[in-house]
Amino acid sequence: MTPAAPVAVTGIGCICAAGGDLDAAMAALAAGSRAPHPPTRFDTGHPTRYPVFEIPAGFVPQDILDKHDLFLTTRFALAATRMSLADAGWDAPALRRLRVGVCLGTTVGCSMDIEGFYRQYRSGAHPGLETIERFLRSNPAAVVSRELGLDGPVQTVVNACSSGTDAIGIAASWIRAGACDVALAGGADELCRIIYNGFISLMITDEQPCRPFDRGRRGLNLGEGAAVLVLEGPAFAKARGARTRARVLGYGSACDAHHLTAPHPQGRGLRRAFAEALAAAGVAPPDVAFINAHGTGTPDNDRVEGQVLHDLFPHTPFVSTKGYTGHTLGAAGAIEAAFTVACLEAGSIPAGVGFAEADPDIPGAPPVAHLAVRGNVAISDSLAFGGNNAVLVFGCPEP
Amino acid sequence: MRTAIRGIGVVGGFGTGVEALRGAVAGGRAVTSSSPETAGGSRETRRADTAALEAFVDRRALRRMDHISRLAILGACLALRDAGIDRPDERTGVALATGYGPTGTTFGFLDSFIDGGDPCSSPTLFSSSVHNAPAANLASVLGVTGPNLTVSQFEVSASSALFTALLWLDAGRVDRVLVGGVDEYGEVLGYCWERFFGAADASGCRPLDTRRQTALPGEGCAFLLLERTTGVPGGVGVIESVQMGRVGATAPQIPSDRLLILGADGHRRCAGGYLQLVPPGSVVTSFGHLWGSFPTATAFDAAAGAVLLQSGKTFAPPPGLEGSGPWRVPAAGEPLPAAGIGLLRVSSGGEYALTLMSLA
Amino acid sequence: MTLKEQLKQVIVEGINLEEVRPEEIADDAPLFGEGLGLDSLDAVELVVLLQKHFGIEIKDMEEGREAFRSINSLAAFVEERRRG
Repeated sequence: MTPAAPVAVTGIGCICAAGGDLDAAMAALAAGSRAPHPPTRFDTGHPTRYPVFEIPAGFVPQDILDKHDLFLTTRFALAATRMSLADAGWDAPALRRLRVGVCLGTTVGCSMDIEGFYRQYRSGAHPGLETIERFLRSNPAAVVSRELGLDGPVQTVVNACSSGTDAIGIAASWIRAGACDVALAGGADELCRIIYNGFISLMITDEQPCRPFDRGRRGLNLGEGAAVLVLEGPAFAKARGARTRARVLGYGSACDAHHLTAPHPQGRGLRRAFAEALAAAGVAPPDVAFINAHGTGTPDNDRVEGQVLHDLFPHTPFVSTKGYTGHTLGAAGAIEAAFTVACLEAGSIPAGVGFAEADPDIPGAPPVAHLAVRGNVAISDSLAFGGNNAVLVFGCPEP
Repeated sequence: MRTAIRGIGVVGGFGTGVEALRGAVAGGRAVTSSSPETAGGSRETRRADTAALEAFVDRRALRRMDHISRLAILGACLALRDAGIDRPDERTGVALATGYGPTGTTFGFLDSFIDGGDPCSSPTLFSSSVHNAPAANLASVLGVTGPNLTVSQFEVSASSALFTALLWLDAGRVDRVLVGGVDEYGEVLGYCWERFFGAADASGCRPLDTRRQTALPGEGCAFLLLERTTGVPGGVGVIESVQMGRVGATAPQIPSDRLLILGADGHRRCAGGYLQLVPPGSVVTSFGHLWGSFPTATAFDAAAGAVLLQSGKTFAPPPGLEGSGPWRVPAAGEPLPAAGIGLLRVSSGGEYALTLMSLA
Repeated sequence: MTLKEQLKQVIVEGINLEEVRPEEIADDAPLFGEGLGLDSLDAVELVVLLQKHFGIEIKDMEEGREAFRSINSLAAFVEERRRG
């Protein structure tokens, strides 16, 4: 298989608990700092108050926050999009003259999980449809395209925890195929009571701040946020004098076809996704400077993923940034792609926060301190409910 | 490089399988069932039955699978059987669209903690309530290990899935894709229909009547098995392209030399989009009355398009032609235009998707 | 109804098992893996069922592992928890 043509990343917007923009988040990662706490926006009837990574209201621009007719997920997506366009040097009028695609991943953004409405419906109170109308208006990719007045392919990926990675990989293929001139790709998700209940019921949440890859890890913490990458063809970006931050060199994805919630014990789908991504990128494991792992902090994920990483990349440092952001579901792959590019630019990866003691069942371990890395290539991988596995390979800009 | 339609798998209100589809399209009949769950509801609803799944898959393997997952698995099994494929190989992918996802299970999950308190939330219902559960379940049951994608954006969902499936095939990521759409009906949806639209129009579904609100709810799953191939034998349908965009931004090039299958399904609000895009005098038809209205019904239109291409002629027009837009709706038995078929779907949000299909 | 009969009823009603009747579950048959063939997702569902029907809280699956081996071990676990 001949390597795929690289796609330029000319702008990034990112909003998560670690910071209101990418620079702020990277500073928190460099400092090894995090502050998860029990949810403040909703009550729960659980005896244990599991910590989550909430985004403070002040992180979202007031004019976007005021769009109460949209899900919070969708407002996060708009905030990240705005930052990404500013970073890329694009404004909406200029984009409207082109074909611009929007590909975003989400979970909550497409859910008819509307508890208040449903409780009323069940009780026979015949609720009005404002909540439903809000749902119908909130599809993240459709809204971003509509708000900016864009014309081009629009896709909302609902592949659970790999959605953000998949969305970026798919959007890159749109650029390569000439389906659009520019693509806005990423993911968004918000914390919500229903999802919180769901993950607790699966017994994969930690009462403490999460500890990816640590021997004593007990599960994940949920988080929220959004990230958007601006993708363009390299020649197109060069012609307009854009600064390229990184290149998407390759993408791979595959399905375990094994179980709805447990990963394949040998990581069958993940290995296949890595193989495809590396072949598409035309790189080999020794070329890879570091890997931003999925690393949720659950016993199963970290064990399976850790084994695969060790088998395929025995000498490559890896870290999970979910210790700083929580598991942001549909946004995770996008936020982690943003971090991967920023770490590639910085030539270093943060400490694996929450990691203190290696697990004898996992052959490798994340760094305990901020670590300098060498190389022009980095990887971000994601594993999802339903057995989806997705891998993105990023490279430094051409010299 | 052509994208051949190797197999069709459909299950909907008209029945199960491609023969039932041919019968429905030819005869214009529709199997109906009322929706007794909706208090005071008078709408017919196109309900789909998954009993046929037991011929393909052992019951124990389906024990945790809800209605929408069963629809998806059945649709995929039918498409594979139609293509003469026993077991999909590793170079097969899945691209599935859903507008609302597993609504029954979503509300079932809410029931579990509304009734029992938060600590009684059901993990089984939660894990089955995610939008990609049907695609994941079908991969698991049928052993499909290639790229697996679920997309969701209401009326353009199915076209969006097809758009990506074509790119996968073109890039050589896989050799075959099971691409389709699935949506299920449920009582909460029924309630929303009643609140949004009031009592049903007594004249039944008239999909091309742009003056009236006559849509009926439906559900089902339609899959196409697409294959990339250099040599397509004559007589096989081919998907040429999918174009997506925004009504009012740039106008899509609506071909004047094809039969247009409009995604019009009796929703008056969307009808405006078709009137805006489709020039007067265009040759159009619609099947919205056969499958009912649901976001991923475009997948059924694609299946119908494939069937029409193979037959070479048009079939029964939809009911309610008086009041249809300024278009020409062919009678049954006219020869299909040589250039083939175009599927056009317009969303209430102002997006469109245009799919071009023809005979190899 | 004895505790074991009750447990079998709860399992059959709360966990989707195609066509298994409570009386068909042997007291000492393995519940997970072979025997009834339950898996990890059923295990966490069983935790919720024990909470719902018996008021028993299981904080992590290590507690559940030994208890969930068979109806016998499950009944012993429930009785022990009830005693306080």
